[in-house]
Amino acid sequence: MTAKPVSVLIAALGGEGGGVLTDWLVDAALRADLPVQGTSIPGVAQRTGATTYYVEVHPETNAALEGRRPVFGLYPSVGDLDVMVASELLEAGRAIENGFVTPDRTVLIAATHRIFATIEKMQMADGRFDESRVFRAAREMPKRAILFDLTRRAETRSQPLNAVLLGAIAGSGKLPIAETHYRAAIVASGIAVEPNLAGFALGLDLAQGRVELLAPPPKAPAKPATDLPALIAEAVDRVPAACLDVVERGIARLGDYQDAAYARLYLDRLYPVLAAGGTARLGAEVARHLALWMAYEDVIRVADLKSRPERLAKVREEVRAQADEPVAVTEFFKPGIDEIAAILPQRLGRAVQGFAERFNLVGRLNVAMPLKSTSITGYARLRMLARLKPWRRKTLRYAEEQALIERWLEAVRRAAPRDPALALEIAACARLLKGYSDTYRRGRGNFLAIMDRIVHPALNGMLKADAAEAVRTARDAALADPDGAKLAQALDMLPRTAPEAVQTQTINAGQTGD
Amino acid sequence: MERSFAKEVRLLRKGAGEVFEGEGILAITKALLQSGVAYVGGYQGAPVSHLVDVLSDAKDLLEELGVHLEACANEAAAAAMLAASINYPLRGAAVWKSVVGTNVASDALSNLASAGVIGGALIVLGEDYGEGASIIQERTHAFAMKSSIWLVDPRPDHTRIVDLIEQAFDLSEASNTPVMMEFRIRACHMRGRFVARDNVAAAHSKRNPLTKPEFDQARICLPPSTYLQERLKIEKRFPAAIEFIRHARMNEVMPGRIDDVGIIVQGGIYNTVIRALQQLGLADTFGKSVLPIYVLNVTYPLVPDEVTAFCAGKRAVLMVEEGNPDYLEQATNALLRKAELNTTIVGKAVLPMAGEYTSEVVLTGLARFLEGTMPQGVDIAGIAAVLERITFEKKRALNLLGGPVPKRPPGFCVGCPERPVFSAIKLVEREVGKIHIAADIGCHTFSTLEPFYLGNSVLGYGLGLASAAGVAPAFDKRVVSVMGDGGFWHNGLTSGVAGAMSNKSDSVLIIMNNGYTSATGQQTLLSSTDGGQHRPMASIQNAVANMGVRWVRTIRTYSVGTMVKTLREAMTTGEKGLKVIVADGECQLARQRRIRPAVRKDLEAGRRVVRTRFGVDDDVCTGDHSCIRLSGCPSLTVKTSSDPLRVDPVAHVNNDCVGCGLCGEVADAAVLCPSFYRADIVQNPKPWDRWLAAFRLSVIDWLRSRRPAAAFASPAE
Repeated sequence: MTAKPVSVLIAALGGEGGGVLTDWLVDAALRADLPVQGTSIPGVAQRTGATTYYVEVHPETNAALEGRRPVFGLYPSVGDLDVMVASELLEAGRAIENGFVTPDRTVLIAATHRIFATIEKMQMADGRFDESRVFRAAREMPKRAILFDLTRRAETRSQPLNAVLLGAIAGSGKLPIAETHYRAAIVASGIAVEPNLAGFALGLDLAQGRVELLAPPPKAPAKPATDLPALIAEAVDRVPAACLDVVERGIARLGDYQDAAYARLYLDRLYPVLAAGGTARLGAEVARHLALWMAYEDVIRVADLKSRPERLAKVREEVRAQADEPVAVTEFFKPGIDEIAAILPQRLGRAVQGFAERFNLVGRLNVAMPLKSTSITGYARLRMLARLKPWRRKTLRYAEEQALIERWLEAVRRAAPRDPALALEIAACARLLKGYSDTYRRGRGNFLAIMDRIVHPALNGMLKADAAEAVRTARDAALADPDGAKLAQALDMLPRTAPEAVQTQTINAGQTGD
Repeated sequence: MERSFAKEVRLLRKGAGEVFEGEGILAITKALLQSGVAYVGGYQGAPVSHLVDVLSDAKDLLEELGVHLEACANEAAAAAMLAASINYPLRGAAVWKSVVGTNVASDALSNLASAGVIGGALIVLGEDYGEGASIIQERTHAFAMKSSIWLVDPRPDHTRIVDLIEQAFDLSEASNTPVMMEFRIRACHMRGRFVARDNVAAAHSKRNPLTKPEFDQARICLPPSTYLQERLKIEKRFPAAIEFIRHARMNEVMPGRIDDVGIIVQGGIYNTVIRALQQLGLADTFGKSVLPIYVLNVTYPLVPDEVTAFCAGKRAVLMVEEGNPDYLEQATNALLRKAELNTTIVGKAVLPMAGEYTSEVVLTGLARFLEGTMPQGVDIAGIAAVLERITFEKKRALNLLGGPVPKRPPGFCVGCPERPVFSAIKLVEREVGKIHIAADIGCHTFSTLEPFYLGNSVLGYGLGLASAAGVAPAFDKRVVSVMGDGGFWHNGLTSGVAGAMSNKSDSVLIIMNNGYTSATGQQTLLSSTDGGQHRPMASIQNAVANMGVRWVRTIRTYSVGTMVKTLREAMTTGEKGLKVIVADGECQLARQRRIRPAVRKDLEAGRRVVRTRFGVDDDVCTGDHSCIRLSGCPSLTVKTSSDPLRVDPVAHVNNDCVGCGLCGEVADAAVLCPSFYRADIVQNPKPWDRWLAAFRLSVIDWLRSRRPAAAFASPAE
């Protein structure tokens, strides 16, 4: 049987240097006097989209072929790939899905960091594709898998990915091309030669197993420091082990957010839920959401977080500033009437809110407050806002949030003994309360709509449908579509037995509890 | 332009006997020079942008050969340029992306084809079909047939392509007809080699100018000449073409061992057929096939004798013809019927009517053909096994993945100036309700994808405004049209703005002025300034003002707040008539390409450089991702929260951020959230910078350490 071309498919994102990688590979083959053909489909995909490059190399030299020329394919063929290269984990997954990775012959070379697709990033909740499934497929489908994640170590993070991939291709041994030819191709391309050669060497090492770069098992995040040992000790005593970790974090969070008394309130709110029955998961979910909710983000909290001593260091690291480089940080505050009313005393705040509603000013009249937190006056303003912390208990927002929290907890408590599944779904609805200003208002509106139209009718025996299922569907709808159209649809589809009873639930229930 | 082609230009100089090694589109360009063209014109578009791009970097060479290069205003202009070959023995080539470019060019093409040519006229088409295509999926074939233009679909092999181009010029001259040559995306970008021939100087140019204009009424497209021209097409040009194609052996027959079945294939698909045969064990590495293959390098017109000779004596022939309608299958059937041959043509019965003929598609179709015809000595069970294995592995892969992975369509680049315009439109929609948006062709068409989903129709390049004419009067609020500067100069100025003015239409037009035709590789335009480095040859603002538009605003795209205000005004003002917003912001790709080396140089020289980028405080971010729904910037992404209490990922700005400012603008204009910050990093700081930073830090430290003021002391619980 005559030799067959070796086929290499490279999957990358536009602008990642896949074209250069292809050129290197083609050039290396030419240097080895091997017949080669490379092709690509750049087009608009070069604007950040998924794209592929395809190379075929014939293993016999032109000299040996004496004028005969192989017919190369322009398309990768399913089940016919020798080397599959992916510059990112999801693209490896796409190649596997398309059938380009088969156990009889394919070596899969993949960088396993994630670059999220817009559709994954834009979801209200968590739209990320399950990485573990791609990893499983990437390990089980190919004949051999060379997987690595350059972002794992500081010293490999800045290595040029396409050169590392070229090294891995060379190191896979699937192509009859000597290493020197690859190196010569890099040198001949004349751009960033040194870093590319270093990347190539790393790729070789990765393919030949001399270096491993994969995620270590995730470490449990360190316990937060807290000066509330008594509350922690109490929690260790009274809280089931399954949710202890979350509760300890909750105590620390709320002590830091407000004071010891607030953390005490957290525990006092939690105990009745834990006593009401339901699963261990329910306890943990309520403990988690309750901690996040009680530590709601008002201007005071944001100013506090942004004026902490460790914050500038964090920013400096994030933006990769060198030690001697000054960094100026500008914050984007734009409080509106809502945000201002939120930190006013209850009655005054309500009056302002009422005024704003009457004149249709909610969400308008926002005052832009770009603020340099690295300047003295800017920092002083932040600090002043942060120091309003003790004042928080008198504010309108505080009163509103506490009332709604109580209402939510009561619903969970009532559901837990009768319908644990429903209780868990109600607990999870706190996930809707996210964001600031408009986003927050919409989330809160969605939360209230679910409470009014499903949870309370269900608890009062007025709902014919499976309540847990109905809450989950409605919540998913609210998360799927930030404008609320899908939620409205989901709510309209509910079977109603006593419409009057449902309508008596008022929108203002947030202040009244149930 | 997106890249420089200095290296490629050297390849174009290769002489007889030298080996040329490079991309398909470059080989095509070289073949034009070897054919002695006097002029080349074109309009950019993938996959053939490079042809004009490379030639415009090859000024000296073109000068030596006497070749005139024209970067045409649009495809109609490029086609019209071929008029030079009607009267004079000038060889010329025009190039564009098809089928859209051919649509634009069709008026000139019909007239050109009717008049006929005496100098060879070649139209190089990038057949943008299948994976990687950015346009509607149609065949160019229909154009060739209806205008009697010959269509070459070469087998993707550099040597063959170059030979066919040279033959195509001869064909054009032998039959007095322009010739189209279509190249699919992969063929254009295919790297391969051929042995070059010397370039040939143009017959006439500035060096050897024409002196006498030719007048021949028979070449004018006006009755009665047009009746004569139509007859000439049928009586003279068509037979001459067939004679030439046969004589020059432009089509190829690859013999095979089996004689009762065979394959007819478009030249461009030949390699894919061979690969499928190889996978089924029916062809060797060098293309030697068990089944005979007739390769149609010329798909219009067919050579009847060749077709019948190939089919005669065969029970069945597989027709591998990509796209629809199945012109070749129909034509072949008709030819066989006339020749009273009984050969069964199997085409779309086993191959799909729609969609690209990828390896898998051709493999499956071929297998079905073989299973149906059972040729002697072909292992049918083995073929079934190959297919079964593929199906099995794909199913297993999908099971492991748990479902299809998310799509990743193209989108706006990091820091793209067009993105903020759509952020602004989304914000205005919150106030005025959903707006009908007549979108256009260009990078800005990405607005129709996630996360914006803005744009209700796309009708063609530069037609954004024109496509609003019918719908605008029917709406309760103004309709917004979008157009790029590329589309504006391509035809939007006339078909859009002039049309709107003469019809007194009351709508809003946003013109994206990013300074280049960016989607096709940043070719310059009349209004280009190369990022403000020079004055434009013509400004969009002046052009629309001269057309009589009174309401014109120029807004920096990144100023989302101002854009929102302007757009709101445009939507609600009592002023009637066309309102034009010129959204100004240089293509970030071009900008980065220019400033990056400059910044690097400054840094190396120790000069003070302020680097700006954005960030997100992950403890302030609540993970609702509304910022992402208003941006979609690749550098604005998500990461697992460092807070174990939060399960949803938080927003995160990665190090690709170019500090365009959109994040801050959107956080501000949308009143989003205070988790964004802008960091200005002073590189190579001066002593003053250091001193100031240190001073500020020490004061801040002192402020931090002070106890809360008494006024804010904790109220009693």
